[in-house]
Amino acid sequence: MTPLQFESQYAPFWQELELALDRAEKKALPKKKNEPKAGNPQAKPPPLDGARLAELYRRSCEHLALAQARAYPIHLTQRLESLTQRAHRLIYRRHDYGLARLKQLVLVDFPQSVRAHRWYLLAATLLFAVPMLAAGWATWRDPGFILHLADAQQAQEFDNMYDEGARALGRSRDASTDWQMFGFYVMHNIGIGFQCFAGGLFAGIGSVFFLVFNGVQIGGVAGYLTARGHSENFYSFVVTHGAFELTAIVLAGAAGLRLGHALLAPGRHTRLEALKRAARDTIVVVYGVIGMLLVAAAIEAFWSSARWIAPGVKYGVGGACWLLVIAYLGWQGRPRTAEGAADAG
Amino acid sequence: MSLDTLYTAETPEGIALSLRPAGVVPRVLAYGIDLGVRLGIYLAATLLALPFGGMGRALLLVTYFLLEWFYPVIFELTRAGATPGKRIFGLQVVMDSGLPVTPAAALTRNLLRTADFFPFLYAFGAVSMLLRRDFKRLGDLAAGTLVVYSDNVALHGELPSAAATAPARALVPREQAAIVAWAGRASRLTPARLDELAELARSVTPAQPGDATQRLLGVAQWLVGRRGGGSP
Repeated sequence: MTPLQFESQYAPFWQELELALDRAEKKALPKKKNEPKAGNPQAKPPPLDGARLAELYRRSCEHLALAQARAYPIHLTQRLESLTQRAHRLIYRRHDYGLARLKQLVLVDFPQSVRAHRWYLLAATLLFAVPMLAAGWATWRDPGFILHLADAQQAQEFDNMYDEGARALGRSRDASTDWQMFGFYVMHNIGIGFQCFAGGLFAGIGSVFFLVFNGVQIGGVAGYLTARGHSENFYSFVVTHGAFELTAIVLAGAAGLRLGHALLAPGRHTRLEALKRAARDTIVVVYGVIGMLLVAAAIEAFWSSARWIAPGVKYGVGGACWLLVIAYLGWQGRPRTAEGAADAG
Repeated sequence: MSLDTLYTAETPEGIALSLRPAGVVPRVLAYGIDLGVRLGIYLAATLLALPFGGMGRALLLVTYFLLEWFYPVIFELTRAGATPGKRIFGLQVVMDSGLPVTPAAALTRNLLRTADFFPFLYAFGAVSMLLRRDFKRLGDLAAGTLVVYSDNVALHGELPSAAATAPARALVPREQAAIVAWAGRASRLTPARLDELAELARSVTPAQPGDATQRLLGVAQWLVGRRGGGSP
């Protein structure tokens, strides 16, 4: 078969596929729906037939393979190639997004993914908690130790934030409203979470660094304030949102450690493939981290800083939040029965 | 090894699709434009938010956060698959399977921007892009994404018309393909260059009237199946 015969024989298929693709792509982009083809007499064709589209796609694949193998003129091959490419994008695109997907993520995927990374979570928790306790102990023994972590002015500011006279807890005097602090917490804390994750790309060193660094900072401030006698103000402030915030930071760090581990010990994959798989698995954890840090920012701005709530109430609610978070990560989304596990697997 | 940087993605049907990855320069320029756009949005938001006090400042901080981390994610998930800057330079983010980018991949590649930025001014990202044939930065490597030119360049057009003539000797498939490809590029080459190339194939063209270009175009027409004056 000569190229010309080939073209004239199959051109009708290609045109049909082209039309179908034009329509399908326009349907996905409703703005331009009635813009082109307004003057076309065939403006109201029958609804798009998925089976026909798939058939046309397979035909165009076949034609492309033939054209390439027989070294047909390049303009012909290119036309088929771009046609096949468009159809490929359309047919294999994912479209299971939306609320159902979000529900699945919150109720099943995120807690399951966290449990799948439990050893990374343990490592991240230790990397965070041990420096935190050590720094806390050091500044509690000797409040002057805080000057290794912050300068004198900042230490003064910590004092002011949790002073008995402070109008709202946990913020310096010039930062005004709850809303502003909410914005600040969103920006600042989620940023830290993302850094803990992204740092994993440097063989995990970045994640380790950010976990240890944040642990030392938080522990140092906590120990300092305890030693200065602000413990009730401080702990009643942090207990509630800490349940979400500290957990989320550790989770982000665990996700980063997984990335680093994939690069260092790729197992039976190439390093690149291992990294891709690790990123695909851990991004689910990162979704959860974002959600938890948003919750934490809202609590921190509107609940934790409120002076009118008695510390006892805050401890109660805070304890409940810790239990809630641990129970959620530990048990939510487990298959109910053995058959359920088989289905999920 | 071929000189061009075409990236081949295989479909489940066993078809190889070629994508054209975009290099450092257009991506840096696109990033610059995006930076400008983000700055513009931020300034506009500042002007709008200032009269609202604390609430306004909250919105401003959230806006800043969203612009910093989610501006590229949101734009890459639109149909164009590109931020405004990328769109200006005709770029697009796709999965390395040639499919539209998924939300998970878009988020991954943009969160890992931090690693690409390290230690300053995207140094790691730039090194990674320069070392690889497919110009992936670290975020692209982990997410399995690729920044490509969204349009294909058509270097080859229809064959120019000429009276079909049989070649003087039997041609092997490689020679046939070369002659047809030469004819397909006729619209992009200068007549002089076209003629120069045609001279190289002198052994193929029978001694007929007309210059070398016309005779070889005739052979090309003959090769794609045209006989005599007209129809295939």
